[in-house]
Amino acid sequence: MACALTGASYGSITRAPLSAASHSRKYLLMNIYLPIAEMSVNAALFLGMGWAVGFLSGMFGVGGGFLLTPLLMFMGVPTAVAVGTGSMQILASSVSGAVAQYQRNNVDIKMGAVLVVGGVVGSVIGVSLMKILRQVGQFDLFVALSYVLFLGAVGALMMIESVGTIRKRQTGQASPRKTGQHSWVHGLPFKMRFHRSKLYISALPPAMIGAFVGFMAAIMGVGGGFVMVPAMIYLLRVPTSVVIGTSLFQITFVMAVTTFLQAVQNKSVDVVLALLLIVGGVIGAQFGAAAGAKLKGEQLRFLLAGLVLLVCLRIGWDLMNKPVEIYSIGPVIGGAN
Amino acid sequence: MARMPLALLAVLLLLLPVLAQDSRAPRVGPPRPAATPNADAPLETVEADVSTRTLEVTTGFTGHEIIVFGAIDNSQAPEGDANYYDVVVVVEGTPFPIVVRRKSDVGGVWINTSSVTFSSVPSYYAIASTRPIEEIAGPSVLERNAIGFQHIKMTPSASYKGVLKEYEVAAFRDAVIRLKKKQKLYVTEPKDGVVFAGRSLFRAAIPLPANVPVGPLVARTYLFRKGEAVSAHIARVTLHRAGLERVVHNFAFLHPAGYGLFAVLVAVGSGLLASTFFKRRNA
Repeated sequence: MACALTGASYGSITRAPLSAASHSRKYLLMNIYLPIAEMSVNAALFLGMGWAVGFLSGMFGVGGGFLLTPLLMFMGVPTAVAVGTGSMQILASSVSGAVAQYQRNNVDIKMGAVLVVGGVVGSVIGVSLMKILRQVGQFDLFVALSYVLFLGAVGALMMIESVGTIRKRQTGQASPRKTGQHSWVHGLPFKMRFHRSKLYISALPPAMIGAFVGFMAAIMGVGGGFVMVPAMIYLLRVPTSVVIGTSLFQITFVMAVTTFLQAVQNKSVDVVLALLLIVGGVIGAQFGAAAGAKLKGEQLRFLLAGLVLLVCLRIGWDLMNKPVEIYSIGPVIGGAN
Repeated sequence: MARMPLALLAVLLLLLPVLAQDSRAPRVGPPRPAATPNADAPLETVEADVSTRTLEVTTGFTGHEIIVFGAIDNSQAPEGDANYYDVVVVVEGTPFPIVVRRKSDVGGVWINTSSVTFSSVPSYYAIASTRPIEEIAGPSVLERNAIGFQHIKMTPSASYKGVLKEYEVAAFRDAVIRLKKKQKLYVTEPKDGVVFAGRSLFRAAIPLPANVPVGPLVARTYLFRKGEAVSAHIARVTLHRAGLERVVHNFAFLHPAGYGLFAVLVAVGSGLLASTFFKRRNA
């Protein structure tokens, strides 16, 4: 306990320059001392960051966790706090969407429940693994590698798809639609009838997808919509009308559980930091949604893919390049070593 | 019944060392060096205090400058000789165990590959002095009094004996000092860090940055004459959380489950509140 109490006292090495930079902007808005991150930050700067991420997530219709969590880490927030606080912010930004989708009857509750059950299992595993990785000093590496891997794959696929669609639209070709195909997914046991999705499939694939997304959510501080939505469409063949609502339903519940677990196991949820980001984010999302309405779907996906790939490259660059400082200091967590 | 006074006496006897310690001036740090220049004259001593005994870290905390001030009693400095005495002030934070990790290139990716745990490293360490400390005293004197970054007591955990070479552990040690300096947690004010006002009064300004770890600080003031520490004094500053900052931090660490639920409720509440607000505005 003593270790946990003193743990957050040592942050990443970028903390000092940050507080110095924000000091000069003191007249703009007061600095806020974050109780869990244990750093003094400029409130306006973090509100602005929340706004920017909210704008992009409103524009592209994504949660924005994959942008926000790395951004917090670049700002010097300890990785664990960035991930833990990220899940709280995602919960806030997805809950209203989930309620709206539910009211429009766009949620397959049964499918959602299976996804949530899987998600909670994944989250529990993820949060526990995070604790172990922090003790052995490999958590930052694991997070960075996960980001490079997932953002790289999803970004590249989205880029290829959107470029293809834009080309086809230019040449006037209609994209062929495949329907009623059976895949290996339909041969698994524990079949369940999902009325809202008009599916009769095994409960295992959605549970596994949910678990995987829950795991990612805990480790990377993301909602995981960018993995879950394609998986539901292409693997489970859930109708597009219920995909968004059902994935938001899963994200909301899994994020609530993840936030709770992060607070209990890793003490890495900073409510003050999260509130700054939430307030900035909800306002930004309103402007973003208005901006996004002016663009075509494939154009948006193309831009989003570019953004995803940029974040991926930036993190990858930091991993591959010889760091200026090869040493780092941190607290002893849970009596390791 | 007759045993009562005896028991009372026993308790008193047990308490005696504690009481005696309390009544003495707080001199827990390095022992006061004995030096007798003029046998007939009374010894010069230094006394010091800190401008702020307790500092509160609140939500608005952006760092704080503490002033260590003091005076030399029985100064024997000849008239007009301003450089007769040197004063060094060391402000040290609570020691904590820390892990130092070293990255190396593993197949093109930079990965933490080795680490050393130091069982106690001061969270904060500031030196202020009238002149650079190397000019004031020799390394052995500085080491004995734990003055200077290279003399900070850092003991690696025993498990590294034989695994890592001496110079490797030294590199980890240097890294701690370098990184702490970068965080502005190890600071030095070698020139005019301590300023004399008159013959025996002096003051030193110590900047505590916003990221200073919360906990008690110890301010040690040394009086040097001709390269020897002739007197020392210890003062304390407590740095504690206060206000909203304290409430949130204690909630998170003492009642993690309650805090977790609270965090979930805040997120859900603010998310729903925001959406109803904007729905009404956009309608």
